[in-house]
Amino acid sequence: MNLWSRFRSWTAAMLRRTRMEREMDEEMRFHIEARTADLIRAGAPQPEALRQARLEFGGVETTKHECRDAVGVSFLETLLQDVRHGVRGMLRTPAFTAIAVIVLALGIGANTAIFSVVDAVLLRPLAYRDSGRLVTILMDGRFPVSVANYIDWRDQSRSFESMGAADYWSPNLTGIDSPENVRGLKVTQSLFPMLGVEPMLGRLFVEGEDKDGADREVILSYRLWQRRFSSDRNVLGKPIVLDGNAYMVVGVMPPGFQFAPFWATKAELWVPNAFGARIHDRGGNSLRIFARLRDGASLTQARAEIASITARLEQQYPGTNRDVVVTPLKEKVVGSIQTPLLVLLGAVAFVLLITCANIAHMLLARAATRQKEVAVRSALGARRGRLIRQFLTESLLLGSLGGAVGFVLAVVAMHALIALSPSTIPRVQTVSIDLRAALFLFSATILTSVGFGLAPALQASSVNMNDTLKEGGRGAGSGIRHNRLRAALVVSEFALALMLLVGAGLMIRTFAALEAVDAGFNPHHAVSMIVSVAGSREAEPGRRAIFYHQLIERVRALPGVEGAGGINHLPLAGDLWGWPFAIEGRPKPRPGESPSGVYRMVMPGYFAAMQLPIIRGRDVSDADTAAAPGVVIINECAANRYWPGEDPIGKRISFDEHKANPPTWLTIIGIAKNAKQGDWTADPDPEVYLAAFQNHEFLGNSKDSDPHISYITLVARTASDPAAVISAMKQAAWSFDRNLAIFQVVTMDGVVAEATAESRFEMLLLTIFASIALVLATVGIYGVIGYSASRRTHEIGVRMSLGATRKDVLLLVVKQGMWLTLAGLVAGLAGALVLSRLMTKLLFGVKPTDLLTFVAVAIGLGFVAMVACYIPARRATRIDPVTALRYE
Amino acid sequence: MDKQLDLLQGTLDMLILKAISLSPLHGYGILLRIQQISKERLEIQQGSLYPALYRLEHHGWIKSEWGESENKRRARYYRLTASGKRRLQSEAERWNQMSAVIAGILRATPEEL
Repeated sequence: MNLWSRFRSWTAAMLRRTRMEREMDEEMRFHIEARTADLIRAGAPQPEALRQARLEFGGVETTKHECRDAVGVSFLETLLQDVRHGVRGMLRTPAFTAIAVIVLALGIGANTAIFSVVDAVLLRPLAYRDSGRLVTILMDGRFPVSVANYIDWRDQSRSFESMGAADYWSPNLTGIDSPENVRGLKVTQSLFPMLGVEPMLGRLFVEGEDKDGADREVILSYRLWQRRFSSDRNVLGKPIVLDGNAYMVVGVMPPGFQFAPFWATKAELWVPNAFGARIHDRGGNSLRIFARLRDGASLTQARAEIASITARLEQQYPGTNRDVVVTPLKEKVVGSIQTPLLVLLGAVAFVLLITCANIAHMLLARAATRQKEVAVRSALGARRGRLIRQFLTESLLLGSLGGAVGFVLAVVAMHALIALSPSTIPRVQTVSIDLRAALFLFSATILTSVGFGLAPALQASSVNMNDTLKEGGRGAGSGIRHNRLRAALVVSEFALALMLLVGAGLMIRTFAALEAVDAGFNPHHAVSMIVSVAGSREAEPGRRAIFYHQLIERVRALPGVEGAGGINHLPLAGDLWGWPFAIEGRPKPRPGESPSGVYRMVMPGYFAAMQLPIIRGRDVSDADTAAAPGVVIINECAANRYWPGEDPIGKRISFDEHKANPPTWLTIIGIAKNAKQGDWTADPDPEVYLAAFQNHEFLGNSKDSDPHISYITLVARTASDPAAVISAMKQAAWSFDRNLAIFQVVTMDGVVAEATAESRFEMLLLTIFASIALVLATVGIYGVIGYSASRRTHEIGVRMSLGATRKDVLLLVVKQGMWLTLAGLVAGLAGALVLSRLMTKLLFGVKPTDLLTFVAVAIGLGFVAMVACYIPARRATRIDPVTALRYE
Repeated sequence: MDKQLDLLQGTLDMLILKAISLSPLHGYGILLRIQQISKERLEIQQGSLYPALYRLEHHGWIKSEWGESENKRRARYYRLTASGKRRLQSEAERWNQMSAVIAGILRATPEEL
């Protein structure tokens, strides 16, 4: 049926409807007039006759109503009628309506907001062609691999349609306005075609561009193109300067494009990856491998194949091909966040359940007061189904209002969630309240409405009309069954609230444990920033050392700065490159088993600035120049692991023993306290601090210097607010050279907060949900006990007149509430014991069955319940027995 | 009117059909006709007549049209349709059977059991 004919049939029905109404009116008027005339003829006076005729006829409106029923009224009309009735009812009880709508809106809105996050982050496929077939191949499922391994896997495997690899690269973009360090990737030519993506402008890399010498091209992200090139289409074919070299722009990717979806998620430009001499390299692991499964090849087959290839390679080149894992790309992206998000979704669903139970309460209580209305309606011939339908329509009306307000709340909450979300949640920028979220909201609204409306509807419609009408206004049909339903609702509310509180409690304990973790250094009043020389004058060999030196001196001299130093990578910055080393005088270890340490390049003053204590020995000093003997500081972990029971100070290690002759030996001069390196909760690994000013490679003095290490992280210890010296520090650097890129300006407090951000996020949300649950459950029990106490006014009056004291009455009422609470607590504890296991991955320093949390939550909740019962109980004790008895 | 009987459930439809089977009538006329035939012994709630009429018309057993009443007023007249006639017949048969059975039961004496 098209829209027009639909409209016509609707208008026809409407016209028929009005005609029927008119005729019905006329017909009944005729009846009454004819009857009146007859009565007058029989001798009655006119006004008396009319009155009599009307009386005999009965209710005209009721009759009309029944006539309409008799010919069958359309679904829509009944609905309209019920809606009208419902709206009137809602307007009559504005406070009830407002509370119900707010509670519902909270429940539905929170659920929709969380759902929109879960949907965007977990459920949606990655935005690549047939992304379910994409996998990553990494060491241990996490670590990058070497170029030679990549080439071997690519050439020897059959399960993959194509394979590509990417290296992280963050060059300085110079030559336009202020210099900026941009994040990017060096990718093999195969990578973009494998993803099945197309550029918005220009082209992708063509074959051969990842060969040496042909690699000076760049593809920009939409954002970078907008931000730095003012969305200029003519940028295609033009050169831009990256790390001092010219790259030609060949393409711009579309707005939504993101690659890589994990690790280098903020990449804004891509250049071809020319392996050059690295094709034979089986060390220097830096490549992330991506592959697409061939049609018909399963993940299991691919895994088996990679396992056999790497086993072969491991024999050939020991220590290079262990624990290579094939992981679906989606799993790699969302795997770690899946559990926390699902836990949050479950928690918020609990909140909605409690909301439902609460509204059901309120409706049940109201249904009790509406029993008379129901009885009258059924006496007038309303069938039970019709009554249920009307009640459900009213619930839906209430639910829809809640859903509408909930929609607004969801939008607000979603923005808050995005703002609060830790950076560890991938794809969070794609979260939006879209059609799917709207559909979710719609279904949640319907289900909720039916959920909270069904019980009261069944309850109310089963009223025995004779009893109710006889009982006058009291409507005492609220018998045992009625109360049992309400009791069940309260019990389940308490059980759900307890489970949520246990979850929140465990997260709070986790967060406290995280806060108590010793970072090793003092994060308060310390600030850091990365200063990159790439693309500037200071990058030239010979200049860097002088520049770094003078820069630190100048920062130290700034007012408010108490100390300053430099290092290549900060603790917690996520850089965990382990470098193998040899220990002087020890036998050559087997391949893959040599000692190694997370590799740091440190400048004098760093340890003092970070307040990272040197436990034994000394710090590097200005005397440790390139001309002086090589020195190194190790952390406690390295000392304990490689020199157990020995004093490592004075011992020598070498990083080039396997290739240099003679090797460079570095003397251990100090042992530093362990600092957190990557993961906040991980145990520290061995760490080695080399003296930066002794390292030619780091200073860019040797010819094959890695362009990666053309920056230092500057750290300053401040007297007061570290943020206050940031701009002075930047100016100090720029006073050397305007082309220096400065980025990742962070306070160390901020770095630590970032490390615990995910747990804080989870704790915050669970605590909010649990608080809502607590309030709702408390209101629930308060309502039920208060209601039942008011129902028992007569009974209490009798008891009191028979000699019951106020204390007896108090106990009587409170006891009833405490039984409900106890049942709820027991059910909740059982549920929490089962469900808290699901949270194991979110927890740190506390077991999912933590006794303290369980006991504290149960006691706390019990106490709150007691208070909630005490108030109506107190009121009950004030009952005047005489009044109470007369009440009957 | 010495003693009025409440109408048995479901019998009103049959009485209406019977009343208008004799001649087309308007609502008030139907009421009068039934009371007249029953010699005023049946009490019909006047309002309940109309839902019954609408229901019967909805089923297609009676048909209505507007005409002129005895005192020159516009009134709605009902008449029986063909299917209404059949309905009346079957209803009447059912009623007769039923009343015979019930009468038989009420006449029963201990000896017959």
